[in-house]
Amino acid sequence: MTTVTLIQVFASGVATGCVYGLVALSFVLIYKATGAVSFMQGELLMLGAFVVLALHEAAGLPLGAAVTLGVAALAACGALLERTVLRRTLGPAHLTALLLTFGLGMVMRGTVGAVPAASHAMHRLPLPFAGASVRLGGATLAAEHLVVIAATALLAGALTLFFRRTRAGLALRACSENAGVAALMGVSVAGMHTLAWALGAGLAAVAGVLLAPVTFIHPNMGLVALKAFPAAVLGGMTSLPGALAGGVFIGVVEALAGLALPEGMKDVVPYLLMLAVLLLFPGGFAAGLRGRP
Amino acid sequence: MDGAHGSPSRPGFAAWAVIMALAALAVWVLGVDYALAQAAFVATWAIAGLGVVLVVGQCGQVSLGQGALLGLGAYAQAVFALRGVPAQLSLPLAIALGAGGGWLASLPARRLGGLYFAMSTLAFALVVEEALVRWESLTRGAAGLAVPPLALGGWVAETPLAQALVACVALALAWLACRRWAASRLGRAWRAVREDEIAAAAAGIDVARAKTLAFVLGGGLSGLGGALYAHWIGFVSPEQFGLMLSFELLMLAFIGGARHLSGALWGALVVVALPQGVSLAVERLPPGLAGAAGIEMALFGAVLVILVLLRPGGLAGSR
Repeated sequence: MTTVTLIQVFASGVATGCVYGLVALSFVLIYKATGAVSFMQGELLMLGAFVVLALHEAAGLPLGAAVTLGVAALAACGALLERTVLRRTLGPAHLTALLLTFGLGMVMRGTVGAVPAASHAMHRLPLPFAGASVRLGGATLAAEHLVVIAATALLAGALTLFFRRTRAGLALRACSENAGVAALMGVSVAGMHTLAWALGAGLAAVAGVLLAPVTFIHPNMGLVALKAFPAAVLGGMTSLPGALAGGVFIGVVEALAGLALPEGMKDVVPYLLMLAVLLLFPGGFAAGLRGRP
Repeated sequence: MDGAHGSPSRPGFAAWAVIMALAALAVWVLGVDYALAQAAFVATWAIAGLGVVLVVGQCGQVSLGQGALLGLGAYAQAVFALRGVPAQLSLPLAIALGAGGGWLASLPARRLGGLYFAMSTLAFALVVEEALVRWESLTRGAAGLAVPPLALGGWVAETPLAQALVACVALALAWLACRRWAASRLGRAWRAVREDEIAAAAAGIDVARAKTLAFVLGGGLSGLGGALYAHWIGFVSPEQFGLMLSFELLMLAFIGGARHLSGALWGALVVVALPQGVSLAVERLPPGLAGAAGIEMALFGAVLVILVLLRPGGLAGSR
């Protein structure tokens, strides 16, 4: 195992980890703001990828417009679901929100799966940089991976600006910290819940678009969200930067485990890590960062 | 036995009339053998559902790993049956393995609560599924195992009638056991833990012990359900016992009403009947219009969403 291989595996791990991290970010964002555990982030991711694909391939929009419109559509979908369905299960009843979101996820997966054109073939989002590679020193890095990493970094920067510099971001943070006090300060808590679900769904859609060049687009691609739970737990469940960092960490560990450990361990390592973290550090690695989204 | 308030909840006369009418209709439409085979599945799912009702409905813990416990029971039964171990010996072993798995899954509950514990059961289930795939010398990995029919001594349960009989006897025994547990001191401890852990601990209840026992007993029921399921379906593979099954069991309990033992039976009826109804309806549609599996999943999801919104207590709930 040379250094070059190590760098290449590391880069692909970071890229996959970025997708995990984005999904974990959307999960934690919703959990912090509304107290609801969303088990449909994977399905939102899948739906986002399909909507972008449909807009690009079937409606013939240019890729940039298709991605913008698709992500906006998913954000609107998240807001709509919150307004109509999810709002009715506010509060700490984990099981209710869990089953409700899981049911909604099944509806999404089933609906997409029932469309023959979507379920009978694997799809690929045709990207201008697909298949290209960048030589850096002796290592060959796939362009897709670099784009995923760059896009995630950009998105993280934009989110930081949003949370630190805008009134809506401040209100959302206030709402996550203490909904009662935020309401007394004149923040519309219900509006913030809608915003959190819209942001969460939009983020999941972005993750779907970023995942599309790495894997195929198919109705079960949402399973990748299962790796977001270890990422969120590693980050302490309530920390947004922690979730992103946890995702990247899981991605790297998984890639290195695929390289060094016997076959099959790769898929279990994230969950073993999660179990270990839950038992040893119930507050998560990022407990110190808590309260600073 | 009612879990919510300790008062007895008997499915009313109307409920039984509905079940009888549905059963008669099923026999009339589908033929006797088919209906009996489905009855065996309903009873088996109800046994597994009782395990979920104990853990989720009585003790109030969110378990996302119940499907893995079912898988442990199913694989134990399959492996023993293939080696010629008679069922009267292998069934208790399958139950014990499910109970042991439940004990293992409940260990993090000593330190974690609520959502964190749910995440640990999720990790447990995924690790068990991967272990079933990778332990190829015993489980033949993803290729799966063919399971011979249930053999009790010299008697082999091959016909649908025999299978339905065995499943119903097992369900009746499991039901009686659950009734006793729910009505006992342990059952009251579970409901106290469900309502308020701190208050329960203050009242002298050993919270960790109550949770562990709920998982051990629920796991044993799951193991029994899994063992019978392996025989009825005749083939086990790891992906049958994945996360989807854990959620299906949660849905089963929730659709039926997790706080009532009878919820397990109602939920099992829905879980078995809904796919059959959907596939019958899809056959009527022009071919190629839509995928049956997708419609089935979407309908399941819609039923779940509607029930959660309109009838949060489940079908057996009084609200």
